[in-house]
Amino acid sequence: MLRLRGREYDADTTLVMAIVNRTPDSFYDKGATWDGGAALERVRGVVAEGADIVDIGGVKAAPGEEIGAEEEKRRIVDFVAAVRAEFPHLVISVDTWRASVGRAVCEAGADLLNDAWGGYDPELAEVAAEFGAALVCTHTGGVTPRTRPHRPHYGDVVREAIDDTVAQAERAVSLGVDPASAIIDPAHDFGKNTWHSLELTRRLDEMTATGRPVLVSLSNKDFVGETLDLPVGERLTGTLAATAVCAWHGAQVYRVHEVTETRQVLDMVATIRGVRPPARAVRGLA
Amino acid sequence: MIVATAVCPHPPLLMRELSGGQDVAAELRTECESALEALAARSPDVLVVVGGHDSSGRRTERLVPVRGYGGTGERVPPERTLPLSLGVARRLLDSAGYRGRVEMATVAWDASAAEAEALGRRVADRAERVALLVMGDGSARRGTRAPGHLDERAFGFDEEVRRCLSEGDRAGLLRLDPVLAADLMVAGRAAFQVMAHALAATGDPVGPEVLYADDPFGVMYFVAVWPCGSF
Repeated sequence: MLRLRGREYDADTTLVMAIVNRTPDSFYDKGATWDGGAALERVRGVVAEGADIVDIGGVKAAPGEEIGAEEEKRRIVDFVAAVRAEFPHLVISVDTWRASVGRAVCEAGADLLNDAWGGYDPELAEVAAEFGAALVCTHTGGVTPRTRPHRPHYGDVVREAIDDTVAQAERAVSLGVDPASAIIDPAHDFGKNTWHSLELTRRLDEMTATGRPVLVSLSNKDFVGETLDLPVGERLTGTLAATAVCAWHGAQVYRVHEVTETRQVLDMVATIRGVRPPARAVRGLA
Repeated sequence: MIVATAVCPHPPLLMRELSGGQDVAAELRTECESALEALAARSPDVLVVVGGHDSSGRRTERLVPVRGYGGTGERVPPERTLPLSLGVARRLLDSAGYRGRVEMATVAWDASAAEAEALGRRVADRAERVALLVMGDGSARRGTRAPGHLDERAFGFDEEVRRCLSEGDRAGLLRLDPVLAADLMVAGRAAFQVMAHALAATGDPVGPEVLYADDPFGVMYFVAVWPCGSF
């Protein structure tokens, strides 16, 4: 069971988390929503497309210009407040590893802290507990934020991702985070090469078998690009294929750039799994 | 003695779960329920259901064949489930909460006139108050997207059935051509003729009424009620 902003979702309900970057340099949109007005338009657009969650980020994941906590807050705190004002019921996530930023955005109305750098700042979980927020616990293999993987290796990447994220989730729960709001994420491409990300996808059922809600962030990533030898901008089909496999394995939250396409894939897979009826079935039944 | 008869169609779609998120047969189902209510209102001692199938015979199974058409739930051997026409009737009766005694029988799609007559008389020829529900469809060839594609003759055939049902024209139903009906994928010809024969001793219905006659998916569906006089 998953609980976000007081709402409960059973294990067969999938949620689309739309990426909203308040950055000038993220790899996919390259600053398209750097401007506050454009970012708010992006939120309106993804909500209209059926996004269940928006994930607001102020610092791109890849290496680049140093962004301190104050600049990160300047980029996102008022924006979170503006989104909260316009969408009182929308689940707002913030992608940050810093506890000080987490505190500021929770005060501004965020419901979920997406700790994409795997507990780098241990106080972030305490902030989530203090504000009754949900927390995404990711596996990065212990790397420093905004570093690229260099020869990472694992005895069993799936086992380590499970053990690490579950341990983070258990710690968060011990600090007071609602167990139904402690989400685990194997973190494709973070501290991993393409083979690792592919194996995590192939064996995601082992992660969902923990019973904790699982988030996957697959959208247009390098493991898709390397698999198909395609640049950013041509990875949607591969992303959706990986999405379908994760959905088959029971992942519940999907952090994405493309909402409409993802929702269609999730609905299609849910219907194949038999947990959602076809929208309208008439063929051969008349 | 026959106190009332009714006609309902039997597409799998009448089983609500089979059309998925949209209830595409809501209106049709509502009219079927009205027809059942009309039968129940005559306080029958027994409700006899006759529906088309590959062969004729009495049926005592209780299970509706919804799994076979894609529904979820327990997988049941075919020999323990009702054929589609009777299964749809069973579902309609269960949904309506019908508590009275029910008997069920099939009539072969290709039953001869003599066979339909024998079955119709057997249904009617008893001292109890009998309500008869016949399950049958019109042509499945009413459009290029219909299950049997388009056969222009379907429109005339179905219109004649509709007229007979609305006017209580038993003789008209008995004149339906079995060969043409088979060509047109009509799943109700034999059942309709059983109904016409069942009223042989009672006479023409009083106040026959067609509640529904339409083909939303290329198959003609009729819902009709024939109250029978003096009872």
